[in-house]
Amino acid sequence: MNDLSVHFDGVSKRYPHFSLEDIHLELPAGSIMGFIGANGAGKSTTIRILMGLVHQDEGSVMVLGHPMPLDQAAAKLDIGFVSEDMRLYGQATLSWHMDFMRPIYPRWDQAYGEALARRFDLRPQQKIKGLSHGQRVKAALLLALARRPRLLVLDEPTTGLDPVARVEVLNELMAVLADEDRTILFSSHNTLDVEQISDQITFIDRGRIIDSDDKEVFLDRWRRLRLVLPPDGVVPRLPGIIEVGGSSRLPVLTTNRFEPAMVSVCNDLGATVQAVDTMTLEEIFVANVHSRRERLTA
Amino acid sequence: MNYSMVKKLIFKDWYFQRSAILLSLAGGLASLGIVAFGGKAGFFIGLVLLICVIITIAATLVMNTLVAERDNQTLAFVMSLPISYLEYTAAKILVNLLVFVAFWLILVAGSLALIVAAPPIHGLFAFTVIMAVEILASTCLMIAVALVTESKGWTISAMIVGNLAINVVGYIVAHIPGIAKGMWGTVIQWRPAASISLATEFALIALLVGGAFFIQSRKKDFI
Repeated sequence: MNDLSVHFDGVSKRYPHFSLEDIHLELPAGSIMGFIGANGAGKSTTIRILMGLVHQDEGSVMVLGHPMPLDQAAAKLDIGFVSEDMRLYGQATLSWHMDFMRPIYPRWDQAYGEALARRFDLRPQQKIKGLSHGQRVKAALLLALARRPRLLVLDEPTTGLDPVARVEVLNELMAVLADEDRTILFSSHNTLDVEQISDQITFIDRGRIIDSDDKEVFLDRWRRLRLVLPPDGVVPRLPGIIEVGGSSRLPVLTTNRFEPAMVSVCNDLGATVQAVDTMTLEEIFVANVHSRRERLTA
Repeated sequence: MNYSMVKKLIFKDWYFQRSAILLSLAGGLASLGIVAFGGKAGFFIGLVLLICVIITIAATLVMNTLVAERDNQTLAFVMSLPISYLEYTAAKILVNLLVFVAFWLILVAGSLALIVAAPPIHGLFAFTVIMAVEILASTCLMIAVALVTESKGWTISAMIVGNLAINVVGYIVAHIPGIAKGMWGTVIQWRPAASISLATEFALIALLVGGAFFIQSRKKDFI
């Protein structure tokens, strides 16, 4: 419990047209969690509850040992937060923002901030309103990182960036994170972004967390099996089958509990395994969401 | 209460609004000059200009320090700082009231000094004090509405209501027997009716500021 940076326990939040239901989320200290969901899935609401900006209707939230939202001011001293809808003051320079924040955060590292400005190719004396969107995101990241937070919360920071700026921001972020030891929650609807930097993955859909595990476990246990069935053959019953696609003779099974022994099981049942395909995080996410939605509508 | 953070937010808003404040102060002092040295016509023109300057700076402060935080999406940045809702509320009310009251005090003190220095209009003293506090109450209405709703539309509506209220209250106060009597006289008079009017206005101000705090403390969604 003590080494959890974030702990959501049965958190719910209800709006007239959207509900976040029974969220259980644990983020161990030192881990990087990718928080993936479609637009409107509840990522930002969850993060706002984490930051104490929205009160949960039910459940408890502990962030860095502080109950939220009650103790949000103390918790936020150790949190660096960047969100897609966060803007800096356009009429002020990056240098002004750094000077404004320096006395607020005891661990503020001015030399690191200046080094980040050089790495991000930002001019501290330039006004924020003169920066491109990509540069503004980098400026916000700089301000979040230079406070040396124990927890970094990034809510869709790459949304709205053009492909070049997105890659630049992600590359810079990975370079910065490579030599750091901090806890990070990175939300996005773009699985490629999340896959690059995360070691844990949580999927959220329609206000509920649908799966959460280590990234490698996800990638190891999800597979697509391409089978060839004999005439009148039936699809073998295998554990963890999420989706059955393809045709009746050439079914494609998606499983979330793959084990190499499955291949011999299929062969024993008369089906020929043509191929066992690994899946990308995006394919796993989409299959996961589809399967859950189908279960709900069934 | 984290006073250090509240102070930081107050200085931040002062820094961004300093040009508007200083420009309005120059405009207000120029209006006072017109009142003092512009003759009979100048007295009324200067007075109208003065009221316009006071109302304008109040509206500018409220729009730029409260409504713009949400419109410009800087509220997420401010609320990511180690600050609670109530500290944010306190900082916003204080910056608006401190700047406005400092500005308002200079101009109201100037107006009252002019009245005291000109015996023919001594009778306007009580009316001027009551109307000055009415402008302060209208500003508090704007601050409270802007803070609670963070909406440009509602804030503009509150501005319109506040400005109309200045005319309505002015008319009513000018017709209260205890105040109307001697209003155009040459003697400074302060009757119980003036004290009651003033107490009512201060009670309204306390209600507006307290109400804003109360509603903010019960808010569940801040962004």
